[in-house]
Amino acid sequence: MAGTVISSAVDHSAVVQASSSVRPTRWAWLLLPGTIFLVVLFIVPLAGLLLLSFGVPDWSLANYLRIGDSPAYFIVLRNTLEISLAVTALAFVLGYPIAYALTTGGAGLRTFLLIAVVLPYFTSVLARTFAWVVLLGRNGVVNEILLQLGLTSQPLALLYNRAGVIIGMTHIVMPLMILPMFTVMSGIDKKLLRAARANGASPLAAFLTVFLPLSLPGLIAGILLVFIYCLGFYITPALMGGVSDITITMEISSQVTEQLNWNFASALSVVLLVAVLAILWMGSRFFPIEQLLGFSSGEANSGTASNRQLGTQYLMRIGSAVNKLDRWLPSLGGRSVPILAGVLATLLLLPVLIVAYLSFSDSSYFVFPLPGYSLRNYENYLSDALWIRATFTSIRIALLAAGMATVLGSMLAFGLARGAIPGRGAMVALVLSPIIMPTIIVAVATYFLLAWWGLQGTELGLALGHTVHAIPYVVVIVVANVRNLNPAYERAARSLGAGPWATFRTIIAPLVMPALVVASFFAFLSSFDDVVYVLFLGIGRITTLPMRMWEGIRQDISPTIAAVATLQMTLALIIVVVGELLRRKKHS
Amino acid sequence: MLMRTQSRSSTIASETGGIALQNLQKRYGAFTAVDQVSLSVAPGEFISLLGPSGSGKTTTLMMIAGFEMPSSGKVLVDGKDITYLPPHRRELGVIFQNYALFPHMTTAENVAYPLRMRGMAKAEIETRVRRILDQVHLGALASRYPHQMSGGQQQRVAIARALVFDPPVLLLDEPLGALDRKLREHLRNEIKTLHKEVAKTMIYVTHDQDEALAMSDRVAVMHEGQIRQVSAPQDIYRRPEDLFVAGFVGEVNLVPVKLSSGSIVGPAGENLSAAQCPKGDGDATLCVRPENLHIETATREVSAGIKGHITGTTFVGDATIFELRTEAGLHLTSKVLNITQPKTLPAVGDACIATWHPQDATVLTK
Ligand SMILES: Nc1ncnc2c1ncn2[C@@H]1O[C@H](COP(=O)(O)OP(=O)(O)O)[C@@H](O)[C@H]1O
Ligand SMILES: [Mg+2]
Repeated sequence: MAGTVISSAVDHSAVVQASSSVRPTRWAWLLLPGTIFLVVLFIVPLAGLLLLSFGVPDWSLANYLRIGDSPAYFIVLRNTLEISLAVTALAFVLGYPIAYALTTGGAGLRTFLLIAVVLPYFTSVLARTFAWVVLLGRNGVVNEILLQLGLTSQPLALLYNRAGVIIGMTHIVMPLMILPMFTVMSGIDKKLLRAARANGASPLAAFLTVFLPLSLPGLIAGILLVFIYCLGFYITPALMGGVSDITITMEISSQVTEQLNWNFASALSVVLLVAVLAILWMGSRFFPIEQLLGFSSGEANSGTASNRQLGTQYLMRIGSAVNKLDRWLPSLGGRSVPILAGVLATLLLLPVLIVAYLSFSDSSYFVFPLPGYSLRNYENYLSDALWIRATFTSIRIALLAAGMATVLGSMLAFGLARGAIPGRGAMVALVLSPIIMPTIIVAVATYFLLAWWGLQGTELGLALGHTVHAIPYVVVIVVANVRNLNPAYERAARSLGAGPWATFRTIIAPLVMPALVVASFFAFLSSFDDVVYVLFLGIGRITTLPMRMWEGIRQDISPTIAAVATLQMTLALIIVVVGELLRRKKHS
Repeated sequence: MLMRTQSRSSTIASETGGIALQNLQKRYGAFTAVDQVSLSVAPGEFISLLGPSGSGKTTTLMMIAGFEMPSSGKVLVDGKDITYLPPHRRELGVIFQNYALFPHMTTAENVAYPLRMRGMAKAEIETRVRRILDQVHLGALASRYPHQMSGGQQQRVAIARALVFDPPVLLLDEPLGALDRKLREHLRNEIKTLHKEVAKTMIYVTHDQDEALAMSDRVAVMHEGQIRQVSAPQDIYRRPEDLFVAGFVGEVNLVPVKLSSGSIVGPAGENLSAAQCPKGDGDATLCVRPENLHIETATREVSAGIKGHITGTTFVGDATIFELRTEAGLHLTSKVLNITQPKTLPAVGDACIATWHPQDATVLTK
């Protein structure tokens, strides 16, 4: 769900003026509650994880040595790495044409592509995974079509193996790959391509020597985000993988919930965490990650130029060589990229649409195409007390989490935007970390902490966990908005006789309100769709809607889930549309 | 000051680089952005496309450069039809608005770009780049990135990049548009000097009339996609052939007149005179520039002129502007240079007669 953040960064690139020499303003006090909250519920748990991994109080390296010693864990690490690399590579190759066409295509194509990228993105991971389970199963839609076309005589094994995991994960991470690439690409001056052409470069050479090097930061950012996301991805591998495709997140989960070996689970989590941090650190040498998430630091891009130099040189050589071949190369035709992008985007959209379609089946199991239409799946959902209870539990928790996240997050946003504190970069990193760190690690760490407090298995405890995860979304959305809030308005109000409170009420609140509403919607959605936190923090005691879906997908894959998933997608769609309308209204 | 004389190219280049546009048209749906534009540019000529924003200048230039396909018509360079040749094979130098320097390349890399795209040997590229950078006085800034340079320096890089592969024609799209006024005037002279030295055909797009008049051999005035007049700068100013041209280039007084059997009748029945006057009868407009409109105090009897009285005077430094209102209610402007201490300039409320020399006035029927 980091897409909320990135897609809002598309429109608001530069945000806040950092001033290190200036003394903190009074706005800085607003940072206090959120910081305390994040320290207690994010930093402390992670520190606890670290201590547990060393077997505290009897300090030892035994848990780490165990990972190194056992070939079983080596295989787990290798699986994780292989799957992550494959998915990242695939998502890059499939995502680049879409991002490119999204930047250079005609208006109609761009709208379609944007919908195809954004819509699946705001659909919960669980719903999308469910779509793939339905599509790829033995009697799934894909096999059904292949059989009917006579392309295969018996169903192919597409699910519960490596291929299934890779297909499902790739689909789910595509938007995460595309959006950063698109952000950077849309910042490239199209006139530069013309300049290259005027200077003798063929279309392909112009692309290689100008567009590609300039889009490189976006590519690196996309690749890194996706790779990190894959390393810490739990839901899809757990639901779609086979017995031989255990990844590190699945191992962590099993150590916590089945083996009850917290120390060893902690060691595994720390390994994953260190890997993620190392990748982030390497990535930040090429591209300021926080900038991608909507924060700009004043000196962005200055230190990174030399690192890109090398790649540029190679591309220059290739471009120059390609140019010589230009007259002999077949004309690539300006249409091939838009067509390719259109096809890929359709594939991106299709699983989601097929689930919606299947939800209207009148059969009690999945048949494709539908034998007839009915609302029976929806009726089953509405008449099942367990589903309804789970829904209300989810709503209660999401409201609680969204409330806390909106209050704390918007205070943090104002503090970061106006506070002029020293060490602002570290603050930004702290605030954004919960969505960059693998959710499962944060969830496991929080689980240990809440267990210690006796809050584990309570709705409040779960909401607290969700709040940590939702705060970054709120901060990014509100910070982008505060940028538009010129301090001169407030000074004008003060000069016209408004006191501080009246200024807040008459100037700040109305101007920021749309952003707060949008932010709280997305906070709500991020809690409402979550299943990873519930698996640990609610363990055995709380059943949210996603939790019931999760169990349903693992056990019987009942068509009722299709109805629930469709409703969930509709909710996401409504939130995206309302958010967009509010944004437009503000700009008009 | 920009270039040392390039004896080699000044003799060769002036024989190539002739451009002909034949009935060029560009439509976007129902909208015609460029409408039947025909224009011949001689080798080595400096011609400006002058017109207000949206008049189709950039579109015309981009059709020459090959970035827009004409809906109909042809583009010829030295007699060769290049209408459908892709831009990278046209061998035309283009200087874009805001320069379009590649931000990820240094000055030297930017300038080397066209040579690398032509597969030139490394050593040759280096010598050529060094030579041209010295010529534009950028030798010391070879390893700077565009964002580390001032607007004027960036412009020189753009010029060097467009010239380094020795194209016979340079196309410039408002190259001074983004600069402040002082720098504009300075660079205007540099480009003019450059033109003399490299002797390349230059097609220069601008919406700034001063720029067009000061730099060009000829000016093509564009309006609503059409070329309204192509003439030397003096003729554009002194002998506009079109009301739009008269109004767009410089200030002008427009007097509605009637033509009848060879005489020009003013709004209050005055008998007026103009050297350029079309034949025929009917409604027309007489154009006279403020600096050519003289004010006589009404004490003296003048044969041809328009009676009125002064409604305002404005001191603008080098000149004084008089506004007058004629008996027929027309507002006219006269500009009098403050060459010497004025003796008896009219004051507000004085009755006066506005006169001009016939050769300074033009009558247009359009
Ligand atoms: N791609 C396009 N689609 C539709 N109209 C365009 C397009 N490009 C330019 N135009 C229109 O063509 C007219 C001429 O544009 P342009 O050549 O850029 O004018 P100028 O350079 O003289 O300001 C303008 O009205 C502009 O809106
Ligand atoms: Mg233009």
